[in-house]
Amino acid sequence: MADSERIKQILFFLSPALALVVVFYIIPLILAVYLGFTPLRDWNLKAYMGKFTTQSYEYLFYLVTHDPDVSKVVKTTIVFTSATLIVNVLGGLLLALAAFFMEESVSLTYRSLWLLPRLTPVAVYSLLWYYFFLGSGEGTLNSLLLRLGLIDHPIAWGTDPSLQPAGTWLILIVVNGFVGVSFGMIIFYSALKSIPREQIIAARIDGANTFQLIRRILLPQIRWHLVYVTIWQLLSLLTTFAHIFLLTEWGVVDRWWGTTWALYVFNEAFSAGEQGVAAAAATILVAIGAVLGLLSLRLLGFKKMMQEPRGEI
Amino acid sequence: MSLASILGRVRRGRKEAVAETIVYHDVETISRRRMTLLLATILGLISLPLVMIYLLLVLSSFADHMLSGPDIFTAKYSLENWRLLFEGRLEPAAAPLYTFWDLVKIIINTLVVAAGVAAVVVVASTLAGYAFSRMRFKWRRGLMEFLILLHAFPGVALLIAVYAIYVWSLQLVPKNVLTSYQFLFTILARASLEIPMSIWLMKGFFDKIPWEVEWSALVDGASRIKTWWKILLPQVKPGIAALSIFAFLAGWEDLIYVHVFLYVAGGIKTLATFIEETIGNIETAYLPIAAAAGTLYLLPTLLFFIFTQRLLLETMSGGVKG
Amino acid sequence: MASRTAWIVATIVIILIIAGAAWYYAAKGGKGTQTTTATSSPAPSTTAPQTTSTPTTSAAPAKPELTGNIEKDIVSIAKYLAAQGIHQVEFRVASAGDPNSVMRVYAISEAAYRLNKIVESKGIDFKIVIKTEFRRGGGDKLAQDFETGFQANKNPDIMANSYKWIARFAEEGYILDITPYVEKYSEFIKDFYPSLLNAVKWKGKYYGLPQDTEARPLYWRTDVAQCIKEKTGEDILANLYDKVKSGEVTWHEVYKYAKLAVENKCSQWGVLHRKGSAHPDLIQFIFAFGGQLEDPATGKLVVDVPAVYKWLYVEWKMARDGLIPKDMMSWDWAKQIHPAVVCGKTLIWIGGTWHWTEWQTKPYCNGRPLTAEEVKRYFYYTLFPAGDHGDKPVTLSQPFVWMIASNAGKDNKDYAKYKDVYHMIAFLLIVKASDPDLVAIHSIISAHLPVTKKAAELINDKAWVQKLANLEIELSPEVKNAIADIVKKTVNDINVEFLANASKLLEYTKLTPMHPLYPKLADIFRDAVDKVLRGEMTPDKAVEYIISKVKADPELSKATEIKGEIPTNWQYP
Repeated sequence: MADSERIKQILFFLSPALALVVVFYIIPLILAVYLGFTPLRDWNLKAYMGKFTTQSYEYLFYLVTHDPDVSKVVKTTIVFTSATLIVNVLGGLLLALAAFFMEESVSLTYRSLWLLPRLTPVAVYSLLWYYFFLGSGEGTLNSLLLRLGLIDHPIAWGTDPSLQPAGTWLILIVVNGFVGVSFGMIIFYSALKSIPREQIIAARIDGANTFQLIRRILLPQIRWHLVYVTIWQLLSLLTTFAHIFLLTEWGVVDRWWGTTWALYVFNEAFSAGEQGVAAAAATILVAIGAVLGLLSLRLLGFKKMMQEPRGEI
Repeated sequence: MSLASILGRVRRGRKEAVAETIVYHDVETISRRRMTLLLATILGLISLPLVMIYLLLVLSSFADHMLSGPDIFTAKYSLENWRLLFEGRLEPAAAPLYTFWDLVKIIINTLVVAAGVAAVVVVASTLAGYAFSRMRFKWRRGLMEFLILLHAFPGVALLIAVYAIYVWSLQLVPKNVLTSYQFLFTILARASLEIPMSIWLMKGFFDKIPWEVEWSALVDGASRIKTWWKILLPQVKPGIAALSIFAFLAGWEDLIYVHVFLYVAGGIKTLATFIEETIGNIETAYLPIAAAAGTLYLLPTLLFFIFTQRLLLETMSGGVKG
Repeated sequence: MASRTAWIVATIVIILIIAGAAWYYAAKGGKGTQTTTATSSPAPSTTAPQTTSTPTTSAAPAKPELTGNIEKDIVSIAKYLAAQGIHQVEFRVASAGDPNSVMRVYAISEAAYRLNKIVESKGIDFKIVIKTEFRRGGGDKLAQDFETGFQANKNPDIMANSYKWIARFAEEGYILDITPYVEKYSEFIKDFYPSLLNAVKWKGKYYGLPQDTEARPLYWRTDVAQCIKEKTGEDILANLYDKVKSGEVTWHEVYKYAKLAVENKCSQWGVLHRKGSAHPDLIQFIFAFGGQLEDPATGKLVVDVPAVYKWLYVEWKMARDGLIPKDMMSWDWAKQIHPAVVCGKTLIWIGGTWHWTEWQTKPYCNGRPLTAEEVKRYFYYTLFPAGDHGDKPVTLSQPFVWMIASNAGKDNKDYAKYKDVYHMIAFLLIVKASDPDLVAIHSIISAHLPVTKKAAELINDKAWVQKLANLEIELSPEVKNAIADIVKKTVNDINVEFLANASKLLEYTKLTPMHPLYPKLADIFRDAVDKVLRGEMTPDKAVEYIISKVKADPELSKATEIKGEIPTNWQYP
C-alpha cells in the first residue's frame, strides 16, 4: 500500500483524539506556562495577559522558604502521594485477589460496593466522610468507638494538634484510598481472570498453597498491570484534590497539613483570585509530574512491555 | 472470502468465548466455600465504614436532621425532605428558589453533558484505540507513553488556560448558537480529560480480538476503515458499553468544568452546581434536604450501576495490555 | 511522503493560527482598544461611562441626562430609546444569601415593575425586563463567579453582594463608577446612614449603593442567667444593655459571668462563637480593645499588637478555664453550634441579628424551631462589650451593596452606541430598589437592618407592618407571590420590635477594611485563634506567629504595618 494512503488512514483514526489532545492539553499547557509569567489576577485576562513578569515564581519561592505552613503543604504532598499510592496499589491488589478467590456472587457484591465511591458526586462523598471523622461525640467513628467502649472521650482525629500531622494524613489517605483502590481492583481482577486456568490447576496439583500460588503464578502474570496502575495512580494523586478540598474547607482536618500542592493551586486560582501564581504553581507541578512519570516509565521497563502491533500487513 | 462469512465467523468465535467462561472451573486444595467465608468476613469488616456512610446518607434524606451515628434510632422519618426538595424549598420555612420544572431542566442539562461526553469519548477512543492496537507507525510507542504523561497535567492548571481559550472563542460565536456552543465546548473539554485513559482501554479491547478475521478481510481488499467499522466494532461492543458508562458517569458527576463553562459563563445549571447550591455554605445549610439532593443525584448512578455492574466489571479487562 | 509533510505543515499552521490569535487578543486587551463586529458583543469598557453624544435627528429626543428626578429621568430615557426603535431592555440581577433574603433580587424586579408603570402611564412603548438569579449560601462564590464570568461577558448586570468586593472589582474595572449619577441624586443619597455610605466608596468614588446591613450583638441566655441568679444571687442581666453601652461591663466582667455560669453548672459553656474564620465576628475584639485594622493615613493594613494580643489572651484564658471549648474552631454548625446555642448550653453567643429569625425557622433544638415568643424569652442581647475599662463597646457590620457591572446592559441592542443610557437605567433600577417599603420588607423578612432612615421609620409604623403581614401592600404579583410564605412566618410584632431596637446598635458599628489583602490577614488571625484555643500556642507566641506569617508573604508584608508591643502590665481577668 502506498505510504501516503497509509498515513491518511492512520490520521483518520488518530485525528479526533489528537485534535482534542492538542486543543485541550497542549495549547492550554503552553498557555498555562505563559500565564505563570504574567501577573494575572481576578481573571482579568484583558489587562494582564500582555505583561511579562517572574514575580509569581519569586513569590512562591519566598513563601516556600519563609512560611512554615507552606512547607507543610510540600511535606503533605510528598507523604500523601506516596502513602496513598501504596494503599491504592496494594489495596487494589489485595481486593482483586480476595475477589478472585471468592465465590462469584459474593465477589460481585464486594466489587460493586467498592466501585461506589468512584461514582459518588464529590460534594456528597465529602459530606459523608466529614461526618464520619467529625471530632466530637457526634462523629460516626467516635460514636461507634464510644459505644463499643474502646475510647472514653471523643477524639478530634484531624484537628487535635497532638495527633497532627498523622491524623490529618490518615484521614486524607482513607478518604482517597476508598476511591483509589477500585481502579487497581478492576484492572487486577480482570487480569487475574484472564490467566489461563490450567496454570493454576497445575500449580495446585503440584501442592502449592494459596500464598505460593499468588507469589509464583499470579503476581508474575500481572506484573505489567501493576506497573501501569502504579504510574497512573502516581500521576493522579499528584494532581487531584477534589476529595480533599471540602474536608479542608469544612475544617474536619488541619488546614495546612490537609492541603496538597494541587489543592493549593486550586485555592490560589479560585479563592484568592491569583491566577498568575496558580499557573506558576501548576507549571511546577506539571514539571514534577512529567519527570516522575518519565522516570517511572523507564525504571519500570514500560518500553519492553509494549508489544508490537498485530494485524499489520 | 465474503464479508458476510467473516462476520459469521466472528459471531461463532464470540459464542465459543462465552462458553469457555462458563465451563471455567477451579481446583483448589482448600474448599472454596470456606475461603469465601474467611475472605468475605475480613473484607466485610474493612468495608464497614463504606456501608455505614451510604446508609447514613439515604436515611438522612428521610430524617429530620443529618444523621451521623446512633441517632438513626431516635430520628423522626418522613417524606418531608423530598417534598421540599421538589418544591424548590431548601429549608423547611423558606421561599421556593426554583420550581419542579426547573429541576427537570437541570436534570436534562446534566444528561446532555453526560451523554455528550460519552459520545465524544467513545468516537475518539474507538478510532485511536484501533490505530494503536493494529497499525504500525513511527511515534506509536512515544504517543502511547505521552498519553499516560498527559495525566500529569493537573486539571486546574489547564482550566485557567482552557478558560482563556474559551473566552477568546466566544467572540467568534454568533449569538443564536451560543448556548449550543457552550454545551459543545464543555462536552469537548470534559471529554478530553477522559481521552488518555479511554484510548488505553480501547486499545486493550482491540488487542484481545484475534486478528486473523480482519487480516483476511484486508487481504480481500477491504479498506482499513471498512474493516474497522464492519468487523472490529461489533466485536468490541462490550468495551464500548463499558467505556460509555464510565464516560457518562464522568460527565454526570463533573463539577468544575460544568461550573465554569456552563454555569458561570452561561447561567446553565446542572445537578453538580445544584448540589453546591443545596449545601450552600455549611454554616446555614439544612442538611437533610442536601442529603435528599445527594441521594437524588446518586440515584441514576446507583440504578445504572446495579443494572450494568456485571457488564462493567467483566468487560473492564485487559485494558492495559501492551 | 509528500502528503505526510503536508499534514505536518497543516497541523503546525493551525497551531500557529490559534496561538497568534490568542497573542493578538492578549495584546489587544493590553492596549485597551476595542473592536466590535456585528455579531459579537463588544469587549466591556473598563472606564467610566463616556459621554460622547451620538448624532440625532431633529425629530428624535436628545440623549438623556440624569436630573435627580427619577420619574422625569426614566421617562426621558424611555422616550429616547423608543425613538431609536428600542422598546425593551433586559437586565440580569444576581445575589446570594439565606432563602429569606430573596428581596436581594426581587427588589430589582419590583423596581422595574414600578419604573415600567411610570413609562406606561405616559403612553410610551418601552419596557424593562429583569432576569433574576438567587443563590443559596454566601456571596463569595457569587463574587468569584462574577469576575470569572465577566471575561466572557456573561456576568450579571446588577449584583447585590458584600461591600468588601468593591475594592477588588473597582481596581479591575469590573464595576461602574456611579459618582456622576450619585451627584445628580444628592437628595436621595442623604437618606442612607452616612456610615454605610463609606462602605460603597473606593478612593473617594461611589461604586454602589447600600442594600442591607446587620449588627453582631452578644446574645445572653436568660434561662442561664436566671439560674446564676438563683444560685449566687448575682443578677447579671439587670440593666445589662446600658451597662455594656456605658462600658461598665467589659470583657473582664464577661469572663466573670461566664465563670459563674459554668462553675454553678447553669450551662456547659460560658461563651460560644463562630467556627472556621475570625472574620467578621471575632474581629470585633480588635475594635473592642481599641485597636485598628487599617491606618487611615497610609491606607495600609495594621496588625495592632496590643489589641490582637488581648483578644487572643481572652480566648486563650477562657479556653484554659473551660469557658470556651478548646476545639471551638472545628465544631460542626448543624450538630454542635446551633443546637448548643438554641438549647441553652451556653451563657453567651457571639452572633448576628439574622440569628433571631433563623432560630424561628430551623429546627435546631428538640426537632422544632423556636417560636418568636420563645426567642424573645430566652435571648437577651447587648452590644459587643468593650475590652478593658475605658474602651468602647462595638458592633460590626458587613453591608451588602448594589453594584452595577461596568458592562451593564450588554445583552441589549446596539450596546456600544447606547451603553451610557443602559448604565443610567441600571442606576435608576438600584435607586428605585431602595424605595423605603422595599428596604423595609427585606429587613423584616430576613432580619437584616434597614439602610435608609425612611425604611427605619416605616418599620416603626405599626399600621404599615400590619398591612405587610396581610400582604395588602402595593407589589407586583410576581414579587408578592414569591415572598408570601416568608411574610407569613416572619412578620410579627416581636420581630419588628427586635429590628427597631437592633437598628440602634448601628450607631456603634465598625467596618472591616476594604483592602484587597484583608482576607489574607483575617485568615492568619483565624489560625492564631485556633492555636490559642487549643493551647498549641500561648497568646504571645500566637502574636509572633501572626507577625511571622505576615512577613512570610512578600505582598502582605509590604501592605501591612505592625504597630505596638505586647503589653506587659496588663491583667486579665
